[in-house]
Amino acid sequence: MKPLLDINRLNIDYQSNKKEFNIIKDINIQIDEKMKYGIVGESGSGKSLTSLAILNLLPDALKVDQGHIKLNTDSTKDLITLSKKEMRKIRGNDIAMIFQEPMTALDPVYTIEYQLLEVLKIHKNYSKKEMHQKGLDMLNKVGISRSEQIMKAYPHELSGGMRQRVMIAMALICEPKLLIADEPTTALDVTIQAQILDLMNDLSESHHTAILMITHDLGVILETCERVAVMYAGQIVEESTVENIFEEAAHPYTKGLLSSIQSLGERSNELYSIPGNVPTPDNYQELGCRFATRCPFAMDKCYEQEPPMFEVQDDHASKCWLHVEEAQDDERRTSRAGS
Amino acid sequence: MSEEQVVLEVKHLKKYFPIKGGILKRTQGHVKAVDDISFDVRENETFSLVGESGCGKSTTGRAILRLHEPTDGDVLFNGENLIDVSKSSFRHLRKDMQLIFQDPYSSLNPRMTVKKLLMEPLLTHKLATPKEAEEKTVEMVEKVGLSTEHLDRYPHEFSGGQRQRISIARALILRPKLVILDEAVSALDVSIQSQILNLLKQLQEEFQLTYIFISHDLNVVKHLSDRVGVMYLGQMMELAETEALYDNPLHPYTKALLSAIPSINPKEKENKERIILQGDVPDPSDPPSGCPFRLRCPMAHDRCAEEIPRYIEAERDHWVACHLYDE
Repeated sequence: MKPLLDINRLNIDYQSNKKEFNIIKDINIQIDEKMKYGIVGESGSGKSLTSLAILNLLPDALKVDQGHIKLNTDSTKDLITLSKKEMRKIRGNDIAMIFQEPMTALDPVYTIEYQLLEVLKIHKNYSKKEMHQKGLDMLNKVGISRSEQIMKAYPHELSGGMRQRVMIAMALICEPKLLIADEPTTALDVTIQAQILDLMNDLSESHHTAILMITHDLGVILETCERVAVMYAGQIVEESTVENIFEEAAHPYTKGLLSSIQSLGERSNELYSIPGNVPTPDNYQELGCRFATRCPFAMDKCYEQEPPMFEVQDDHASKCWLHVEEAQDDERRTSRAGS
Repeated sequence: MSEEQVVLEVKHLKKYFPIKGGILKRTQGHVKAVDDISFDVRENETFSLVGESGCGKSTTGRAILRLHEPTDGDVLFNGENLIDVSKSSFRHLRKDMQLIFQDPYSSLNPRMTVKKLLMEPLLTHKLATPKEAEEKTVEMVEKVGLSTEHLDRYPHEFSGGQRQRISIARALILRPKLVILDEAVSALDVSIQSQILNLLKQLQEEFQLTYIFISHDLNVVKHLSDRVGVMYLGQMMELAETEALYDNPLHPYTKALLSAIPSINPKEKENKERIILQGDVPDPSDPPSGCPFRLRCPMAHDRCAEEIPRYIEAERDHWVACHLYDE
């Protein structure tokens, strides 16, 4: 079976009159139907750009240099080459997106009803009465009890958690196949975050919607996702199931991230920390591994040649020379034992 | 424990913000941002205030430094009542108390070099001649993990983590006794956050600092603090030593708050029982009667609507404001 969304060797470049450099390099992601997939990374790792590329919403200075983003619904479409008109049919209908800051994503001068039903007006053919009923049902589903009142309200009258519920209702009202959630709970308090994550889990199951969750918070990933890609400096450095990543992380960056958050919980004296800072795109290393300058295990090779995505175990890939070296060592040992 | 010296005593602190409206801009009501809270901070400890947005934790920090003039209550710093002191003499006291903000982007003047930024507090307080100030600046910059070549650069040339290091250097150059950290690591990425937390711990030991750490991040608070106070809607709900609070939370709100932290350990996740609270934090200008948490509390009963729970010492050094522990 073909995956619902197939991102294949996606590259994004920054182009201006003065300079040109690569930002996103060789992203491969496959999301099956109903799957909950996570992309995790620090700020500037390119996780949001990847999601914007899916919906063809990249800013003008950024260009997709090569690669495909294929959406397999009834037919297969390459989202990179689609015309603007065709893309509009997909946004909100097949793929919907929710953002971190619901206050800026909702229009302050229109009522919730207008904004909620606008999606339906564009993509479906319902009568006014049917639409209104659909809207009320959807608000009830996202846990808004006074739905009649809320329909008439304006965004500023709602709390942060309520606004994010409205955003989710808007995203799911056309029953999309894929929901992209870009840091959906980062601006919310923990108790509200727990409510929203719970709600998203329930709705994705009842609506058979696949979710692409983009976050910096590994806790949110563990709470919601089945598979996860770890991004660093515009590349995927490790990809596997959530269990594999959390229990058998292979890449030094993933290990570092996990150690720094896990040592927080232990009340130990010194926290594990990754030295240095996240590089900015114009400072990415041209050759070799982009993490090498901060990596405690960096070898000469890491500065010279880009590491491959290496299959460390079944269904678990990590982009690091260490694994290749280890595999070679193992091979040598077995061949020596054989001879 | 009780023998330790108390540096700061906050007694029945209140900060009400008036709501003005109508043509005559009359005061129509109050937002009770901080409503009658008391706690003390001991020498060399890290005391944390946690809570969700709007619970009054930042206002408390600012009211202690009189950046918001408190409506009522007393703040005693080494026995001296900060509220009674005149504004001009308070300025001298303020050098012993420093505040570090969440956003180093907006708290550092973009037109000043790091050197100027660090020398300014020393010169303002007339604690050093320009030459001495320069020497101290060089020393301080190295203490926070930057190098002397950074001194002539401007804030925009630094990353978020480095800027926070500059803010820390600027606060500590006056050798304060008390530092209030208001969400000081919240804007930083995980890998940078742990660098800064390590630095804060190391400097605390070196300079014998007392921290008031204000944060919404319960994991960070657990790591850093000796004692923690949990706030909700302007009131202190629970206060205890860190271990007691995390292992044995008493207040239903603390329980829910702790259970809501996304787990980072797959094994822990399976055993964990999550308490999902209903609804939102109520409007602080129109709080519910009785206990402020009762509308979202799974244990609420009739008494909670009628009386405000007393803030009592339910166990040794473990304070809580809940009717469940006050029969």
